[in-house]
Amino acid sequence: MKIYRVLFGLLLLMISFDAYSVLRIVTTTQDLAAFAEAVGGERVKVQSLTQGTRDPHFAAAKPSMIRKVFRADLLLVIGADMEIGWLPPLLQSARNARVQPGNPGYLDLSNSIALLGKSSGPVTRAMGDVHAKGNPHYWLDPANGIRMAQAIAARLGELDPSHKDEYQKRFNTFAQTMDKKLQSWQASLAHLKHKPFIAYHTSFVYLADAFGFLIVDEVEPKPGIAPSAASLSALVSRIDNNEIGLLIIEPYYERRSSRYLNEKTGIRVVVLPQSVGARPDINSYIDLFDAIVAALNDTGGK
Amino acid sequence: MDPFYIRVNCMAILFAALLLNSGAAIAGEEVETLRQQLTEIKLLMQRMQQTYDQRINALEQRLQGLESNSERIASAVVSPPIAIPSLSTATNSGFQIGLSGLFATGGSSVSNDKLESLQGGAHDPGQKGFTVQNVELSIGGTVDPYFDAQANIILQIDVDGDTVVELEEAFFITRSLPWGLQVKGGQYFTEFGRQNPQHPHTWSFVDQPVVLSRFFGGDGLRSQGVRASWLMPTDWYSEINVGMQNPKGETVTSFLNAPGEEIGGHTLIDRDLRKFRDLLYMARWLNGFDLSESLSLNLGASSLWGPNASGTRTNTHIYGMDMYLKWQATYTQRGFPFVSWHTEILKRRYEAGDTDDSNRETLNDWGLFSQALWGFKPGWVAGLRLEYATANGDNAADPLRDTRKRLSPNLTWYPTEYSKLRLQYNHDWTEHLSGKTAGSLWLQVEFNLGSHAAHVF
Repeated sequence: MKIYRVLFGLLLLMISFDAYSVLRIVTTTQDLAAFAEAVGGERVKVQSLTQGTRDPHFAAAKPSMIRKVFRADLLLVIGADMEIGWLPPLLQSARNARVQPGNPGYLDLSNSIALLGKSSGPVTRAMGDVHAKGNPHYWLDPANGIRMAQAIAARLGELDPSHKDEYQKRFNTFAQTMDKKLQSWQASLAHLKHKPFIAYHTSFVYLADAFGFLIVDEVEPKPGIAPSAASLSALVSRIDNNEIGLLIIEPYYERRSSRYLNEKTGIRVVVLPQSVGARPDINSYIDLFDAIVAALNDTGGK
Repeated sequence: MDPFYIRVNCMAILFAALLLNSGAAIAGEEVETLRQQLTEIKLLMQRMQQTYDQRINALEQRLQGLESNSERIASAVVSPPIAIPSLSTATNSGFQIGLSGLFATGGSSVSNDKLESLQGGAHDPGQKGFTVQNVELSIGGTVDPYFDAQANIILQIDVDGDTVVELEEAFFITRSLPWGLQVKGGQYFTEFGRQNPQHPHTWSFVDQPVVLSRFFGGDGLRSQGVRASWLMPTDWYSEINVGMQNPKGETVTSFLNAPGEEIGGHTLIDRDLRKFRDLLYMARWLNGFDLSESLSLNLGASSLWGPNASGTRTNTHIYGMDMYLKWQATYTQRGFPFVSWHTEILKRRYEAGDTDDSNRETLNDWGLFSQALWGFKPGWVAGLRLEYATANGDNAADPLRDTRKRLSPNLTWYPTEYSKLRLQYNHDWTEHLSGKTAGSLWLQVEFNLGSHAAHVF
C-alpha cells in the first residue's frame, strides 16, 4: 500500500496548482513582457517565449513553448507577420481555446499602431522578406510603447474587470514616467537630428522616426538577404559620397560586413540593443531606451 | 582695387576661358561623374522625402497622442490615440496553400538496380541522373472554432518516368477540446518517433534512414485512423498519444502488406481485418525539457502493435526510443548558430508463420540512426549521420534484413527559408552486395511557394 501512497503523492506533485488567482500572460517577445509587467504588476505572471538576444523572426519552437501557451490566459503578439514562421503551429499544438486568434485571450499589438512601410504595390518574395502588412519593429518608437501599454491595460481590464482601475492606474504611472523620460532622451539625441545613418536590417525605422535621424540605406541589399561583396562595395561609395557617419546594428547580426565597412570608410558602428533582454542589464522598456541613448552617444572617447 | 575683388575677377575670367575653350573636353569626362552624383542626390532626396512623409504621419499621430495625453492628465479619462482593437476585430488565420518541390541529381559506384536496394525510401534519390523526389501541394487552415484541417497531395515521377499521385495526408484536428486533449483523424503519418511524421522536404538529409525504410516502407508509416493526445498538467512538457489505424496497405509494411511478397522466406497472405483488435495500435510518450535558455532536450518512447500477413493469427510489435538535443547560441541571427543531435533506435519483433506452421519463427530486427547538425553561420548547416541495421537468422542475402552500416556527411545552404541546396555523400557497407561497399554522391534542390512554411520543433 505504501507504494501507492508514494505514487499518489508524486502525481499530486506533478499536477501543480497556482496558489493565487493571477492572470497568466505569455508574450512572444520580452518587450511585450515588459509592458505586461509594467501595467499588470503583481496581478499577472508573465513569461516570454523568446529571448531579447535572438532574432524574433526565427524562434526555434520548443516543447516548453507549447506548455507555456497551453496554460496562458492571455497571449500578446507583435503581429504584422513577425511571428508567422513559428507561432501558427505552436498555437495548434497548444490546444488552448482561450488564446486562439479572435478570442479575448489573444491580443495582436500591431492593431494598436499605425505601421510604417505598408506596401502600396504588389509584394513578391523576390523583394526579400518584405512584410506586406507593414514594418513590425514598431516597439522601437517610445510613443508606440505607450500605445502598446495602453492596449494591454485595456485588455487586462476586460479579462479581469474587478481590477480594471488598478491596471489603468499603473498604465497612467507608466505613461507619465515615459513622457518625462522621452523629453530627456530627445534632448540628449538632439545632435543626431537629420543625420544620415545606415542600418543592418530595416528594423530601426521607428527609432529614426522618433528621434529625427535618417536611415538612408541598409547593409542587407534586400530585407533578410545577406550582403554580397558587390552590394558592400556599392555601400562603401555611398557612405563616402554622402558622408554617412553611423551604422547601427542589432547585437545578433553578423559583424563581418560592418567591420569591412568600418575598415573601408571609417564609419562608426554602433551595436544597438533592439529589445528588452538584448543585454543582461536591460530589464524594462525604460532601460531599453536608456541603453539605446547611451550607445548612440558613446563616441568611444572621440 | 580690393585684392579679393581682383582674385574673384581673375577666377571668373579663367572659368570663362575654360568654358569657352575646352567645354567639350570637360563634358567628356566630368559630365558623367556629375550625372552619377546627380542620380545619387536624386535617390537621397527620394529617400528623404519618404522619410519625411513617414515622419509627418508619425508627428500627426504623436499630436493625437499628446492631445489624448493632456486629456488623460486633466481628467484621468483615457481617450485612445487610435482605436484599441475591440475583441471582435482580431482576425482569423485563414486558408493556406503551398507547393514545395524537391529535386536531386547524382551518381553512385554501383549500378541502378543495386542502388534501388540501397536507397530504400520512395522519395530517396535512387538512380543515376535526375530524380523528382517529391512535389507536394499542401492546403490547410482553420475550418471553424472547433477544427483545423490539412491535406498534402504528392506528385512524384518514379524510376520508369511515370507520374504518381498520392494522397499523403488528409486529416482534421480539434482546436478547442478541454483538459489538454486533442483528437486527429483521417489519413495521416503515424506519430512514431520524431522522423517518421516529417515530410521529405523538412528532412535534414536527402534520404530516409535505413531502419525506417525497412520497418515502415518507402513512404513512411501512414494510414487511416484516429488518435487522441493528452498534454499532461506536469511542470515539464509531457504528452501522451494513443491511436489506432488500418493495418492494411503498402504504407504499413510491417503489418498487412503486399500479399504474395516474402519476408524472411515467409510468403505473405491476403489477410483481412476481422476484429477490432486486428487494428494497428500506437502509443507514444513525448517529454520536453529546457536544460537552460540555450539547451533543450526531447525524449520520446513509441510502441506499435498489429497483425501481420505471414499467418492468420500472427502479430508484429515495434518499439522505439528517440532523443533530440538542441543548442542555440545566446545571440542568434535567423536561428544560427546552433547544434542539434537526433537519435532514434527501433526494434521489431515479427511473428512469422502461424503456430501450426513448421517454419514458424520470430524475426527480430533492430536498427538505429544518429544524426548531428551544426548550423555554423546563417544559412549554412553541416551534417553527419551514422546508421546501423541488422536482424537475426539467415539474413545475409536479404537487402531488407542484412547487416548494414551507412555514413552520410552533408552540407546544406539555405539562401532563404524558402529554398535550399544540399550536397550529400553516402558510404554504404552491406552484406547483400557482392562488393560490400558503395559510395554515392547527391545534390538536392528545394523550393517552397505560397504560404509561409512553418517550422515544427
